[in-house]
Amino acid sequence: MLHDAYGLSFYEFDDEKDPKEYDVLLCDVVHGRPPMKPTYMGIGWYWYYHGVRYGAETLCLPSTHGWDSRFVNGYPYITAIRTTPEEAKAREPIFREKIKPFLENFDGVWDALKTDLLNTYKAAKESRGLKEWNDIRKLSNHELLSFFLDFAFVMNRKEGETHFIMLMAAYYISGMFQEMWHSLFGIEASIDPNFHTLMSGFEAMDITFTRGLWKLGRMAVDSGLEQVFKDNDDAAVIEKLKESEAGRKWADAYHEFLLEHGWRADRMHAYDYPTWLEKPSIGIARIKFMMSEEVFPFDANRERVSKARQEAEKEILTKVPEAQREAFALLMKGAQKAAYWSEDHGYYCDFYVGAMGRWILTEFGRRFAEAGSIDDPEDIHYLHPNEIRKAAIPLGRVNLRHYVEPRKQQHNKNLEIEPAPFYGDISKAQLVLRSDPTLTVSTQLPIVREELKADLYGAASAPGIVDGVARVIMRSEDLFQVQPGEILVAPGTSAAWTVVFSVISGVVSDGGGFVSHPIIMAREFGIPCVSGCVEGTQKVKTGQRIRVNGDLGVVYILDK
Amino acid sequence: MNNWIYWLEELGHGANDLVGKKCANLGEMTCMGLRVPPGFALSLKACTDFMTLSGAMDEIKDYLDKAERDLDGVEALNEVSAHLRSVVDSKEMPEEMKNAVLSCYRRLCERCNTPDVAVSTRSAGAKSHPGQYETHLNVKGESDVLDFIKKVWSSAFNPRSLAARKRLGLPLHSDPIGVAVLRMVDARAAGVLFTADPNTGDHSKMIIEANWGLGESVVGGEAVPDMFILRKDNLEILDKKLGGKGRIVKCCDRGIVEEQTPCDQKETFCLTDEEIVEIARLGKVLEKRFGVPQDTEWAVEHGRAHPESVVLLQTRPEVIAKKADPLDQVINMMVGRFSC
Repeated sequence: MLHDAYGLSFYEFDDEKDPKEYDVLLCDVVHGRPPMKPTYMGIGWYWYYHGVRYGAETLCLPSTHGWDSRFVNGYPYITAIRTTPEEAKAREPIFREKIKPFLENFDGVWDALKTDLLNTYKAAKESRGLKEWNDIRKLSNHELLSFFLDFAFVMNRKEGETHFIMLMAAYYISGMFQEMWHSLFGIEASIDPNFHTLMSGFEAMDITFTRGLWKLGRMAVDSGLEQVFKDNDDAAVIEKLKESEAGRKWADAYHEFLLEHGWRADRMHAYDYPTWLEKPSIGIARIKFMMSEEVFPFDANRERVSKARQEAEKEILTKVPEAQREAFALLMKGAQKAAYWSEDHGYYCDFYVGAMGRWILTEFGRRFAEAGSIDDPEDIHYLHPNEIRKAAIPLGRVNLRHYVEPRKQQHNKNLEIEPAPFYGDISKAQLVLRSDPTLTVSTQLPIVREELKADLYGAASAPGIVDGVARVIMRSEDLFQVQPGEILVAPGTSAAWTVVFSVISGVVSDGGGFVSHPIIMAREFGIPCVSGCVEGTQKVKTGQRIRVNGDLGVVYILDK
Repeated sequence: MNNWIYWLEELGHGANDLVGKKCANLGEMTCMGLRVPPGFALSLKACTDFMTLSGAMDEIKDYLDKAERDLDGVEALNEVSAHLRSVVDSKEMPEEMKNAVLSCYRRLCERCNTPDVAVSTRSAGAKSHPGQYETHLNVKGESDVLDFIKKVWSSAFNPRSLAARKRLGLPLHSDPIGVAVLRMVDARAAGVLFTADPNTGDHSKMIIEANWGLGESVVGGEAVPDMFILRKDNLEILDKKLGGKGRIVKCCDRGIVEEQTPCDQKETFCLTDEEIVEIARLGKVLEKRFGVPQDTEWAVEHGRAHPESVVLLQTRPEVIAKKADPLDQVINMMVGRFSC
């Protein structure tokens, strides 16, 4: 049976053929929750897994051609297009050459690509005379459509290909390092605290960005504006600041910060979340959160974490047989870069391009609603890119409600549906995951160890043990419910969540591979983390006391 | 004197071209006062003169010229080899040479206080000559000594050596070999010592591989030997790994025999700690003298007291495995890991 995907061809799931062809398809709980709307599927997701294929084929990975993907109830399922043994053999010599630059000079490859990406975004704006968020209103329908097409087919393609050739290399390198770790030391890297110590103490753009927010907070305190922030809700803060000279000065500084760094929204690629530049109060909440910290928490731990890493590096190298030491050191450096890259790339890849999409789609939504093609500007997210093209130039002459209404109803239903974690034969999951370590960015199987009698089994992602009150957060909008000292339990986190790491005492996540966001951030902020628990947000309830054992990768619910 | 035969005491490191590398190194070790079995060496010239004077050289040249044999196939190679070896083996040693060899052998018997003393006849290739020559163990009596010296010479025509010379474009009809004739050491245990780790090139460690009986089981790689790892600077034994030692090689009445290792011997180390340290100590002395890591054959002789029982049989520069480029090592691992 073919499972309908909002009436769109290309995305449907064939429950007979697909599991047979691929053995197993796994739900991407990290990117796919809440369920996706058609615009996200048609642009962000489409280029996402185009990028994976581009990465796999360009690097000529011996084991896979990249991902295939299907949708059930708006939830994405992913799997690897595994190669045949003959294909693997033919691809191997090319792969050997293609992977070299990433092992020799990972940063060099990335620096060139990210500069190119940033220039692409900047040129797209500057060539159209756009700077401020509202400047886009000046564009004619034709200009807006051309910007949209440029976005949907040129910028996204570039972003996707850059993103995933890097991700493929990064994950192959870190996967290999974990494998070598296991063969040398007889323990899974993901449950070995020493391993995580080695991966810690690097500054990615995500942290630089968060430090920028903290500095703005300190500037507010130094300018005597603390009370304005404390007494008003986030939106009112912006208004109140206009009333004083110091406040206006601060608001200008914040605006400059947003013009450069505000190209981000709390959900990457989804387009139905406002960007920071569009809604500056999002950032105000984050700034409030950190403004009482006299030292940026990452910096407070930084020296200790880096020193611990450097010592661990020295020590671990003495344990590696001499014949393998140089290779180990080379791979370790690569794995460290890969982990750091994983947090760096969000800024340049997902966030920026996603914000550009939000910018254009919001404007189309506004124009379509004004012209009577849809009822609500936000209905634009139920449209496929082709339908937007169809209605753009003869503005107001196409009734888009025929597309919007049934999909909206379906999406509302989808929100109530708990997605099946997989389709097909789960015993083949390891085989599939092994052929393509990038799948672990979105999915991970917990390592169950019955002898520990834990309530949740996951990966020991950041060391330490902590008891505390759980706070289950499903969406980043709810992040500010978190109270200092609580343990965050979430499906996954993204850079939008970084700020919360400065107040929580531990993290439990359902998804997340070894270089996913919650893990990297927990390490950098020095708090215990167990990731890849799969059902953490289902089993744990807000208010329960739990124990997070980041050394072993298990979670205990203390009051059941 | 025809410059055919030298006692080991007369030789040294510089005698490579005269008597072949192995004989030269044995001479060097003897002169250093190290425990090497007594013996003498036949020079490369002895080999050449034998071939010329006996007429073997002409016959071989004729055969190779006339036959214009194709040596590419294994069968053809084996056939040519068998013919050429039979030519060499069937020739009588010239009288003068025979007398010179036998006179040395008799003096060796006197020195060892043993009539018809058992010897080994060991091949000693000259510098840069390819191929694999033969060594014969536990050879007894005048007639056998003469025959086995010739067998060493004729091993220059074994298939492997012929193929190597052909590949390198060297003359096929001649490749003179030196021969060491040493008192046979009836070993309780024997093996090899590497004064640096041959796999990693780690100069701080020495590795000993050892088995019961003669060293041939270790050198040939048929049995998994015991392995001992030492620190080079203070000769501390870092690790002892018990090998399976499935088979051993022993002296029999004449020649050697390979047999199953008795169970109790399989389960015990074939060297005592003091023997391990003594072997390693000798290795350090050799490495210092020769200036590069050494691959040394040694034996622990039956019926002698420590440390006199520990003797050296040959030494040569150690071949250290070429270290794979770490980048290639990583890529090899990646390919191995993910090609499934």
